[in-house]
Amino acid sequence: MIRSIQRAAVCTGLGLLVQLAAALHWTPFTFIASAVIGLPLILAGGVLFLRAVWKSLKSEAVRQDPS
Amino acid sequence: MVRRRARFASAVLRRNEISATKPLDSDGVAASVHILATALLPVSLVVALAVGVVLVAMSLLGVSLAAHAVGRIVLLVGLVALPLLLSVGNLSYGVSESSSTRFCLSCHEMERFGRSLFVDDKQALAAAHYQNRLVPRESTCYTCHKDYAMFGDVKAKLNGLRHVWAHYVTGVPEQIKLYESYPNSNCLHCHDDSRRFLDKDVHRAISSQLYANSVSCLSCHRIAHDMVKVDAHQFWQAQ
Repeated sequence: MIRSIQRAAVCTGLGLLVQLAAALHWTPFTFIASAVIGLPLILAGGVLFLRAVWKSLKSEAVRQDPS
Repeated sequence: MVRRRARFASAVLRRNEISATKPLDSDGVAASVHILATALLPVSLVVALAVGVVLVAMSLLGVSLAAHAVGRIVLLVGLVALPLLLSVGNLSYGVSESSSTRFCLSCHEMERFGRSLFVDDKQALAAAHYQNRLVPRESTCYTCHKDYAMFGDVKAKLNGLRHVWAHYVTGVPEQIKLYESYPNSNCLHCHDDSRRFLDKDVHRAISSQLYANSVSCLSCHRIAHDMVKVDAHQFWQAQ
């Protein structure tokens, strides 16, 4: 789980870096990059995190109630 | 003399680039919001990055936040909610920024069109509108080149994507021209009930054709951007 969360954090971090570059200097290129690369990376980070938490909660539930 | 005027136009263009971040014609509140967004967005993105780094560092150091509910909420806010919220804010700011004169002129092929705002030609539409402040200087290109119909903004942004595609992928055409002929509705959006427009007999005589777009405004007002004077470095300079 920790590894998955770290992967999610790396994705989100990269996405934020792209967004930061765009926010510091808006040009057509940085705008497209922030929309096409930055935002999907952040979304991917969110999905990875939620999946990791979901998996962990599921396995916890199975451990508590094996039947 | 010619070089001095060209330098002047470049300097004004640069000054306008700066003023594009500090709108000249907007009211105080809008200007304050703009300045706040310009400063706050990068700062909040850095804060979000720092939060992410701290969370990763904690997990590397063996502090397992994901083990309990509060930790998961902290992770959810730090890794999902905050970055997502900032991204949406950043993108919406980017969309508004993409309407600025500075943004349009950031592609070098548009530079000559930017200079055409400063030519010494009262008949050239772009120069006359810009120099007389008939359009907001921070969004000059967008004000005249977007349609004012229901999806005018969307259409303008999609056209912008086509420009970017041409700039980076297919290459800029030898002669830059509009995708479709300039619609009268864009002119009439501002001029149709203005006194200067209505006082001219010729406008009243052909008003139905103008509204039907069967006679183009540009058939009389022929010069949109005076590129001849741009190339001859004939720029207007306030005395």
